Amino acid sequence: MDTRDPTSIGDAQLVTACRGGDEKAWNVLVERFSRYVYAICAQGFRLSPADAEDAFQDVFAKVYVQLDRLRDPEALRPWIAQLTRRVCLDRLRTGDRELPVEDVEPDGFDDQLETLDQALAVREALSGIGEMCSEMLDRFFARDESYRTIGEALDLPPGTIASRISRCLDKLKSALEDSAPLTRPVGR
Amino acid sequence: MTTYDHEQLAQLLAALPPAPMGLVAAAQELPRVRQSLDDLLVRAKEDAELRRLLVADLESALAESGIRPTPRILDEVRTRMRRL
Repeated sequence: MDTRDPTSIGDAQLVTACRGGDEKAWNVLVERFSRYVYAICAQGFRLSPADAEDAFQDVFAKVYVQLDRLRDPEALRPWIAQLTRRVCLDRLRTGDRELPVEDVEPDGFDDQLETLDQALAVREALSGIGEMCSEMLDRFFARDESYRTIGEALDLPPGTIASRISRCLDKLKSALEDSAPLTRPVGR
Repeated sequence: MTTYDHEQLAQLLAALPPAPMGLVAAAQELPRVRQSLDDLLVRAKEDAELRRLLVADLESALAESGIRPTPRILDEVRTRMRRL
């Protein structure tokens, strides 16, 4: 397999590494897409927490078994999104599998998925702004932690967190402006 | 080029909170679980006593092999056992 650290490789190389049986690469794939898959289930399809958890497990079981069937490894993200959509639809159709998609899929799902795609691209850009900034933004916005908790975790005075977050958002904005939308730089 | 302001970035960052830790860990264990299952079923194919144990108490037999007997795993093993 590719000898580089799997956390820093693009989706296509990650697929190749997973197909070669690299467990570390599989861990990275799960880590990279876990939030995305869970968000599609819980936010996009508004599944209950229990159903979202079952769907999440189904999705990754299918990804693991069917990864060899993915024709274009660059298309990993849309393929996972489509798999997740099918799993969630099946779950919502339980008891009445003949229901048409439009009767089951929540209104505005496509817009929601587009937002989650953008959110994933923003998350990917976090890796280019340094570990401290990346962690701070993740803790504050995605994990909803307080300035105090973040300060304690990162050993920083809580009074400086707000200004640091603002500077980190500037860095993230620049990183995104330098990258193409919804793509990960090749060979990163 | 993609341009976002701070508010949009904040909303997009908040749109992807972490998935529950246990779920992520379970998904990451899939290759090891698959391998253990495959090994167990290969042994069961050649070992009548193991087959009997699996039929009598599948959950315990899986647990003894280091495989967490989730409903999904139990279903899969039962399906594959029928093909042995």
